[in-house]
Amino acid sequence: MLLRALWLFLIAGVMTTQVQATESIVPQITVGTQEVGLSAGYLLPHRLTDGHTTKQQGVAFMPSWMMTVTDPMGDSWYRGQVSLGAEVVYIQFQEPFLTHGMGFTPKIKYTFAAHDRIRPYAEFAGGPFWTDLAGKIPEESSRFNFILTAGFGCSFFLTPQTAFNVGYRFHHISNAGTRYPNLGLNSSLPFGGFSFYF
Amino acid sequence: MRQTTSSRIMAVLVLSSALSSGCTRSIEVMPSATMRADTAPTSIASTERVPLILDQVKVSQNGAPQNPSTELDRRLLGSLQSLKLFSHLSLAEQRSFTDNEKAITAHLTIDDAIDSHPGEAAWKGFVIGTSMFLLAPVMDFHYDYGTQLTLELERWDGTVKTYQAKSSGTARYDLFSASPSMIAELKGHVMESGITDLMHQLVKDATFYNASSAPVTERTIHSVSVKSIRRGPAAVSVSTSAPVTSR
Repeated sequence: MLLRALWLFLIAGVMTTQVQATESIVPQITVGTQEVGLSAGYLLPHRLTDGHTTKQQGVAFMPSWMMTVTDPMGDSWYRGQVSLGAEVVYIQFQEPFLTHGMGFTPKIKYTFAAHDRIRPYAEFAGGPFWTDLAGKIPEESSRFNFILTAGFGCSFFLTPQTAFNVGYRFHHISNAGTRYPNLGLNSSLPFGGFSFYF
Repeated sequence: MRQTTSSRIMAVLVLSSALSSGCTRSIEVMPSATMRADTAPTSIASTERVPLILDQVKVSQNGAPQNPSTELDRRLLGSLQSLKLFSHLSLAEQRSFTDNEKAITAHLTIDDAIDSHPGEAAWKGFVIGTSMFLLAPVMDFHYDYGTQLTLELERWDGTVKTYQAKSSGTARYDLFSASPSMIAELKGHVMESGITDLMHQLVKDATFYNASSAPVTERTIHSVSVKSIRRGPAAVSVSTSAPVTSR
């Protein structure tokens, strides 16, 4: 149901976004440009050791805010900008139990700006994460955890202020050894979403 | 009860001061080294004024050529207009003048230098993020902008006067107070400082632009044939221009 809603949201977004002439779509992102975004994806499990048995999976929603803190730097293919912000991560675990998780993660992103409309990026985020899945699975015992995220993606600018994003993230959830067992949960998260720049 | 109330007030004060200090920004513009405040206002009698044509504006940013903007042209022309040294100001594409007409031709070169301190911003961003934004009010970012303006004014007789002005400034801001308008403000202040400096220098040479300061010249084209002494290829035709003083 949530996935259907996500696809509906994405399709509606694409259809309602006015596509402009190519030469007028070049985004002017400078120091102080803010970005608000909403991404969604589906969490898929990685059982990295024999001790990992849980196949946790479910939909994830990630509203975010970013602030650009540098102008484009560099003259080669790596020319890009740094932005800093925060993200709220909500995961509805559908397997092995219908449970929920929510976290708040400061986030840093490097966006490659060598191309005008298509801008790949790499991102890293980490912060506290609460989930009621812990305690019901052998890998995690405490509800208070931390989530670490590293990933990459690509922004396709539909207008100078609007971009469609697709990407991949690796998620790690554990409690930093505050309670045991603490094997941690590892997941892949392919995602898509929109960003608005102002 | 009283202790709870006072601690609440303290908490509100700390929170509000943290939030307000987390949204501060300032712009510092360095005064130009060549700027003189003692320049007396000078103008030319309206009968002695000649038109000025802004022929070419070249803009570069950190050495890379940029497209000049019409806003910049208008801004410069507006500043020149306020000096009351010229009868009419226009862009080269808006007006053509004859060889016998007295006019000043202006060429402007703008060399911008921008440093947003990307490395510093990246690690500060990392530290701020790691602290869950608690350090955002105390860690500020810097954005440096400097410009060098070179204005060449060519009198109708071919004499060229060159004026140069350097101006720079820094915007200091916290993460939550950054905005593109802040950078536009910084660039506006720095550019204004540079143009003002140029205008101060130009005013000192007011008499140089008097219509009676020099006779009008004509530019005629002469063809010169260069012929080799030895037998060989045909003569090469070379065209040169030379000013001729008219009476």
